[in-house]
Amino acid sequence: MRFEPRAPREGINVSREHPLREAGVLVAGLAGVLVLIGIAVTLGMDLAVGLIPPELESRAFGAFAAGESRVEDDTAKGVAAAQRVLDALARHWPDAPYAFRLHLLAEDSPNAAALPGGRVLVTRGLLEAVESENELAFVLGHELGHFHGRHHLRRLGRQAVYGLALAALLGRSGGARPLGSIAAELTSRGFDRGQEREADAFGLRLVGAEYGHAAGSTAFFERLDPPGGPALEGVVAYFSTHPGGRERIAEIERLAAAEGLSTTGAPTEPAPR
Amino acid sequence: MDTLVSLGLTLLLLAATYFIGTAVERKHQADIERREARNRRIPVTTFETVPDDWKIARSGLVSGSVVVSVDYFKRFLAGLRGIFGGPIRSYEPLLDRARREAVLRMIEAARAKGYDAIVNVRLETSRLASSRQDGKGIAGVEMLAFGTAVRRGR
Repeated sequence: MRFEPRAPREGINVSREHPLREAGVLVAGLAGVLVLIGIAVTLGMDLAVGLIPPELESRAFGAFAAGESRVEDDTAKGVAAAQRVLDALARHWPDAPYAFRLHLLAEDSPNAAALPGGRVLVTRGLLEAVESENELAFVLGHELGHFHGRHHLRRLGRQAVYGLALAALLGRSGGARPLGSIAAELTSRGFDRGQEREADAFGLRLVGAEYGHAAGSTAFFERLDPPGGPALEGVVAYFSTHPGGRERIAEIERLAAAEGLSTTGAPTEPAPR
Repeated sequence: MDTLVSLGLTLLLLAATYFIGTAVERKHQADIERREARNRRIPVTTFETVPDDWKIARSGLVSGSVVVSVDYFKRFLAGLRGIFGGPIRSYEPLLDRARREAVLRMIEAARAKGYDAIVNVRLETSRLASSRQDGKGIAGVEMLAFGTAVRRGR
């Protein structure tokens, strides 16, 4: 028996396809699947939310805000005054299916949120930052607008269902996970900003009905985004949860003009403290 | 904004591990080919016995093993494959290199002991579990090559 040393052919056990090409095809496929799931979940939620009566929502989420550990003593200074502003605005939405209740969140950044069951969270930072009642009224009216569109439920439901879908799809695939959560955020951002605009429009109508004008509505956002400051554009704008400050102010002014409300002039009510 | 940051970091990590992984792979592949050419005169077979006409002076067990792990980019690709199915191509060159490296180390061990052929060569793979609590993560794979090395007598 004779031994002839010979090198085996290369590439028998290794595919020729370039890994970057493979990555591109797979990522594009996954992104397509995720976007389709996102759209399906969003549309499904819109259907499902219509089937949940507000009374059931209030019952189910009654203990929601109370269980939030950062909620401060609701008897704190300014909360009662803010609650009065909220009540005054809500009177212009007579068939509101919620009893709105304001809660204070011990946080310094100015922010507000609508929680299921008719609870409105405001941060202490917001109460300290507003310089007139009109400014606060627009923010609270905006949150009432979220209740009007039942955005809080849509968002909560979408996040929950999409999260489950992602966990089922990507649960074991390690590296693809960050991609999934990014896709989740991206799909929801577009819908979120549409909801913000709806809420702005509704809040503006409430403010107009209460005060007869919209002066001071944009003052708060103008202080956050002074004219000439950096404007969010392009990619960065798409990643932000709310419409960019300048863009949002212009939109509010356009809406106010359509409603015949003036946004210029001094705010008429002192800040509720 | 934080989404943009996490997307950027992920892409950066993928790009870095892709370029590093590719460079490491090329280097290792070249090294393997060089050493294979150098050791080509040593017969390495899966036959269980030596040819009938061989006179054996001495024999012994030789082995070579290598432990490999996958980089972030390859794991990312494999993860995507886990969704869509199909051959996990990103692991193929890795395991191919692991097999050849294990065989090379076995041959080099045999040469160091003065043997001049290896028969009954077998390859085995075992999975090293990671310290992740669910036990699902894979820390790496061991590739073991072993066989009976022989030295021919006159």
